[in-house]
Amino acid sequence: MQVAVYGDTLCAQVTATALAQTGHQVAWYVFGKEEHEQLNQEQPLFNEQGLDRLYVEQISAGRLVPLLRGQSAVEISPSEVVFLALSPGSETLAEDILDVDVKPGACRLVVNQTVGPVGVAERLRQYLLSAGYDAALVALPDLIQEGNAFLTFTRPESILLGCYEREGEALMRELLRPFNRRKDVLQVMSLREAEFAKLAISGILATRISFMNDMAALSESLDVDIDAVRVAMGADSRIGEAYLYPGCGFGGPGLSSNVLALLDAQQQKAAEPGLLEQVLHTNERQKEVLFRKFWQYCNGCVKGKRVAIWGASFKPGTARVENAPALKIIEALWAQGVDVAVHDPKALPDLKRWAEKQNKELLLCDTPYEATLGADALMLVTEWKPYWSPDWQRLKQEMRTGLILDGRNIYDPAFVKAQGLEYRGIGRS
Amino acid sequence: MVPEQDDLTESLIWPQLESLACKEGSLHLSDFFLQEPDRFAHFCLESDGLLVDLSKQRVSSHARDLLVSLADERGLDCWREALFSGAEVNCTEHRSAKHWLLRDPSDQAAEVHAQLEIMDSIVSRVLEGQWRGVLGDAITDVVNVGVGGSELGPMMAAFALHSTPLAEGETRPSLHFASSMDGSQISQVLQELNPRTTLVLVSSKSFTTVDTLHNANTARSWMARALGLEMDNEAMLRCHFIGISAQPDKMTAWGIPSANQLQFWDWVGGRYSLWSAIGLPIALTVGMHGFHELLAGAHDMDLHFRQRPWQENIPVMLALVDVWNINFLDIRARAVLPYDGRLKYLPAYLEQLEMESNGKSVSRNGDPVDYHTCPVIWGEVGPNAQHAFFQLLHQGTQPVACEFLMTARRYTESAHSGAAVELEGQHALSNANCLAQSRLLAFGEQALDSTLALPAYKRYRGNQPSTTLVIEEMAPRILGALLAMYEHKVFAQAVIWGINPFDQWGVEMGKVIATDMLAVLADPDGAHEVDDSSLSLARHIACKQATQ
Repeated sequence: MQVAVYGDTLCAQVTATALAQTGHQVAWYVFGKEEHEQLNQEQPLFNEQGLDRLYVEQISAGRLVPLLRGQSAVEISPSEVVFLALSPGSETLAEDILDVDVKPGACRLVVNQTVGPVGVAERLRQYLLSAGYDAALVALPDLIQEGNAFLTFTRPESILLGCYEREGEALMRELLRPFNRRKDVLQVMSLREAEFAKLAISGILATRISFMNDMAALSESLDVDIDAVRVAMGADSRIGEAYLYPGCGFGGPGLSSNVLALLDAQQQKAAEPGLLEQVLHTNERQKEVLFRKFWQYCNGCVKGKRVAIWGASFKPGTARVENAPALKIIEALWAQGVDVAVHDPKALPDLKRWAEKQNKELLLCDTPYEATLGADALMLVTEWKPYWSPDWQRLKQEMRTGLILDGRNIYDPAFVKAQGLEYRGIGRS
Repeated sequence: MVPEQDDLTESLIWPQLESLACKEGSLHLSDFFLQEPDRFAHFCLESDGLLVDLSKQRVSSHARDLLVSLADERGLDCWREALFSGAEVNCTEHRSAKHWLLRDPSDQAAEVHAQLEIMDSIVSRVLEGQWRGVLGDAITDVVNVGVGGSELGPMMAAFALHSTPLAEGETRPSLHFASSMDGSQISQVLQELNPRTTLVLVSSKSFTTVDTLHNANTARSWMARALGLEMDNEAMLRCHFIGISAQPDKMTAWGIPSANQLQFWDWVGGRYSLWSAIGLPIALTVGMHGFHELLAGAHDMDLHFRQRPWQENIPVMLALVDVWNINFLDIRARAVLPYDGRLKYLPAYLEQLEMESNGKSVSRNGDPVDYHTCPVIWGEVGPNAQHAFFQLLHQGTQPVACEFLMTARRYTESAHSGAAVELEGQHALSNANCLAQSRLLAFGEQALDSTLALPAYKRYRGNQPSTTLVIEEMAPRILGALLAMYEHKVFAQAVIWGINPFDQWGVEMGKVIATDMLAVLADPDGAHEVDDSSLSLARHIACKQATQ
């Protein structure tokens, strides 16, 4: 089929690549010249593991064509299906695309993947209907997990589809057929229900994390290791193991903006604010938990000290730092006159851009041990695999103070201490 | 050197004013407007974002000219020069009064600027969420512990300016004020706050004020207890307490580390100190940029006061009209009526500024005065006062001079966009009430329709004089000019009356006697040389406490 994908989001990149890979002819429209040039040079917008290679393959095969919206030099046949994978809150842009780009007659289906307030898809559908288009509009909320994006799209545990027209459902089933083989995981519901379900999923995941962070704070004062508690809780089938890891806060564009969208809906409907607000508040506080531990360790005298940070991206596997806990930690350390040295396998360019916007100098290191050289503390913020088993003796020799602040509880406290280092985790020490 | 000054009774102008008052004192305000229909143009002054309308005062052009001559005769220009040259204008305490230096942008105020820089570093850390408590938490609440000038000025200005927009990335902490000696406020505040995120400002010029030190001690033990620390824990004091005083040694002795000490000087009177580090709560409300604007506005007014001839000089004309009302029309009360709720604490601030400054009855030459000085001043947010004491203003037996304050522009900030139409309507309603009340007070029921035949109890005699102040908008710079205007007005009045506005000996003795009374309360049956009433009250209290 002729498919058009609009957006410069990770969701757009995954959708375009996966559809091209299964044989569709995909035109991927972005909005910025820079992004377009980057794509033309076979550089994907997002450096997801495995996705880079697949993207290049589709370009070479000619099934995926990156285009700059409004300025396509290449003659493209009209699309039968249009995917909208825009940044959150781009409702006006979506209407403009429906107005200008969608060809009545040719287009049979519009798929809205953009995350937004509940009701956007319905409004877009109304917009199509009132303009006299005969295309169906469905909602396919983006359930992609960053760091594991391609697999969550192509091997989904479930697919939420908001849909009113039989024809829309049939066409969607056909498009998703390659990804929905082992068993049918497609769940069909109303447009609003699909949108809301997506936000509610994010809400409960965020709630679990903030709950565990609360429990971790309590563990510390009760002299309990939260990790033992976590394992015990996870073994209960009513609870399950996922999203029970306490840590130094969640970030990224996805989870937090979804929870914000939910909170926004709640406030607009003048509902009693409560749990969600607290969830986000707890998370924002949690992003500074490693700073607080460092501050307490130094009794509030941190000026002139040096801190090494391992991992700046908001989760392993992504090169992005948006809303990442590392940013809040760095800001707090800067404000106290602490030198910060950072290592990250992928996110340093994005971090550098962020630091330049603050007009601040960051020491960006090529190796983890360059960052820890002469440091007064090591903060493990993002649990990239290469950080899991460091050379403890080297750290002990090369750091000025052997303080390990484990923001993801990936180390064994007893083992670290046996190496002659000090250890503080989240809810354990 | 301060100028020599004759006793007011030897003035040549004074008797002329007295005889003019005999002639014009019985005129009704509506007569003034009949004789001079365009009074507004002649009695209106404008400067630095302020418009002052004196036309509803019972002052004729003749009276005004005589009052201006009185200012000359009293040597106001020399006294003004003495004030601004740092002469010892506070003769009983042998001090200069250089609050104007606190807003001087020139190099002669270098020590002032050094303190402003320290304030800046504190303010930016707090507003950016980077002032940390002892456990590393960002500060969300600030408690100002101080009384008198260490509370009234900062509280009034911070409240007036709380809708001023801050820079991006800055969050205003919640401010709390605790002053009352009995612990009523501090106990309430501490109950609600989280010690981990609370910063305490201990403000006292002498750092010996018992009210303040007791509240500060309570705050310190509350924090230590809640955090499981010793009372003198160094990190706790460093992270949660800031001291503001003219006595660094006493701050150190109490436990404030030197990095957390903000200083001001002997030459700043407590009620003139909001421009110094005492204004930290204001700076925490409007940011340091806003605080500098406040200072700049006050400096604008300093220049206005120093440069304009008396007839165009706002503080001087306000002072002279007050003198006319008090000494020649025998109006011994003044009501301060802001028709903008943000000026809620202005009356309390002015009560201290004016009554503590000019509530004196001994001249600079040491003689008792035989004329009235500062009137009784009280006030309330205007529309609320309409439902409280306006009855007395309209139909009581006391003549009262009123001071109306209103703002021209309001609710223009985008923050109000959602409800702007309704709020703008409320602003218009409030201003309409302000104008209506000053009209009715001035002209009585004639303001409506002079032909109305009303029973006596429904009549409004009018003739209550008033001043109306229009504030362009509630911006730091304009508020700064307004407050400096009052300061200079008070000074100009003091010069006319020949009294020292910068001391406050009348509040000292009570503190001493209170120490004696503590002993009486502790043992009311012991031998005390105390009057029957006081001793009996102490015994009654002891008796009630014993039977509980």
